[in-house]
Amino acid sequence: MSQAAAIPDHVPPELVGSFNLYKSPQMAPTPMGDPHAATSHLHDGPPIFFAPDNTRNGEGTWIIVKAEDQRRVLQDAATFSSFRKIFSSALGEDWPLIPLEVDPPEHGVWRSLLNPLLSPRRVMDLEPIVRERAVSLIEGIKARGTSCDVMNDFAFPFAVSIFLQFLGISSDRLHEFVGWANDMFHGAPDKRTAAARTVIAFLDDLRDLRRREPTDDFMTFVTQAEVQGRKMTDEEVRAMSVLLFAAGLDTVAAALGFDLYYLAQHGDAQELLRAEPQRVLLASEEFLRAFPTITPVRTATRDVEVHGVLIKKGDLVACPAMTANRDPAEFADPDTIDLDREENRHVAFAYGPHRCLGSHLARREIVIGLEEWLARIPSFRIKPGTTPITYGGFVFGVEDLILDWS
Amino acid sequence: MKIKVFAEKCQGHARCWAQAPHLMHLNDEGYVDPGDIDVPAGDEKIAKHAVLSCPERALKLEE
Repeated sequence: MSQAAAIPDHVPPELVGSFNLYKSPQMAPTPMGDPHAATSHLHDGPPIFFAPDNTRNGEGTWIIVKAEDQRRVLQDAATFSSFRKIFSSALGEDWPLIPLEVDPPEHGVWRSLLNPLLSPRRVMDLEPIVRERAVSLIEGIKARGTSCDVMNDFAFPFAVSIFLQFLGISSDRLHEFVGWANDMFHGAPDKRTAAARTVIAFLDDLRDLRRREPTDDFMTFVTQAEVQGRKMTDEEVRAMSVLLFAAGLDTVAAALGFDLYYLAQHGDAQELLRAEPQRVLLASEEFLRAFPTITPVRTATRDVEVHGVLIKKGDLVACPAMTANRDPAEFADPDTIDLDREENRHVAFAYGPHRCLGSHLARREIVIGLEEWLARIPSFRIKPGTTPITYGGFVFGVEDLILDWS
Repeated sequence: MKIKVFAEKCQGHARCWAQAPHLMHLNDEGYVDPGDIDVPAGDEKIAKHAVLSCPERALKLEE
């Protein structure tokens, strides 16, 4: 299908943009790139435009550039639906991820079940475990030498090990899970599908085991929970547990990767946070603003106007956190990274009812990861002769990030 | 001074609670309790920070 054919008739030609999240400059894999900054120029153009070929399978979407408009879209779940079944349809199956791909009011029932498990207070109880995992990974890295591959040696195994802890799975299986996660998020399409099936089969088995032999963990809780007066179906338990895997690993790992990529290039910021670790809490919010990883996508449930532009029922609407977080109407000097920024209502975890369920845990993982890294690793830089690769897409990321402190 | 709480707009970001844990009360799900909040003398600045921290604009300051 030609690109022109993918543009619906109701899209005015002047609103067809040349930007998309996958192929534009800095969005495709780029040596030593800065993909977030590369979205800033969108604020010089129209507040809403149509981006052809803006999803993994080549569909066009509207892009909502401004923070205030994204807030309106993401808060209005009746007009902008999350119901998509993206994950399962890639496997030839037919179920929405719970609660991500479910709309209110049903969405609220699932959230009420899960919210207490990931509330700010509950996350405080997880803090010692999160810190222990960070320390043990970093000490392992130090024992092996004076450089490491940050994503493979630290960020990814750190996020995966917290997931295993949350699900009550032994950390003996960390290596195996990191391999599946790597294939699922970063592999070639056939590897992604195979890894997703492996993870699902594992979680299905765990579900069946906990139905037979309950214990005190997440899976037991889910299998015993009553939702609207009934137990959850096998498919619902699957849709909920696989979402924790799909949503909570790559995003947190990528955030930590971008933070350390920035710090490796800014020795002054590194020294400041190392000398005054109490600044990490505020700085991590600025990193979340400057380097968010996600783009929520919705489907219009009716014809609706945004800035006088007609969005038709069925159109996809993308709200990249990167553009909202660099909106000059929302943030003073949005392209300046200010580690002391106080007013910082960024949208790294989205707005509206689908606000990231794991946001409180993700925040603690990022703060603790940075605190322990800076406390234990001396002044570090990008290893001379190596080149990190950054990329855009549905989840922004960085790889081949080799840090050196020799 | 009062914090007006529009609880139906709260989505559980808990940024207000991070700013002012002694002023803002969250339920077991981590969402703000309904009901406006009287700000004790001396807490005006912290109340302002709490209000300005809400990504959903669910809080408003009233003099």
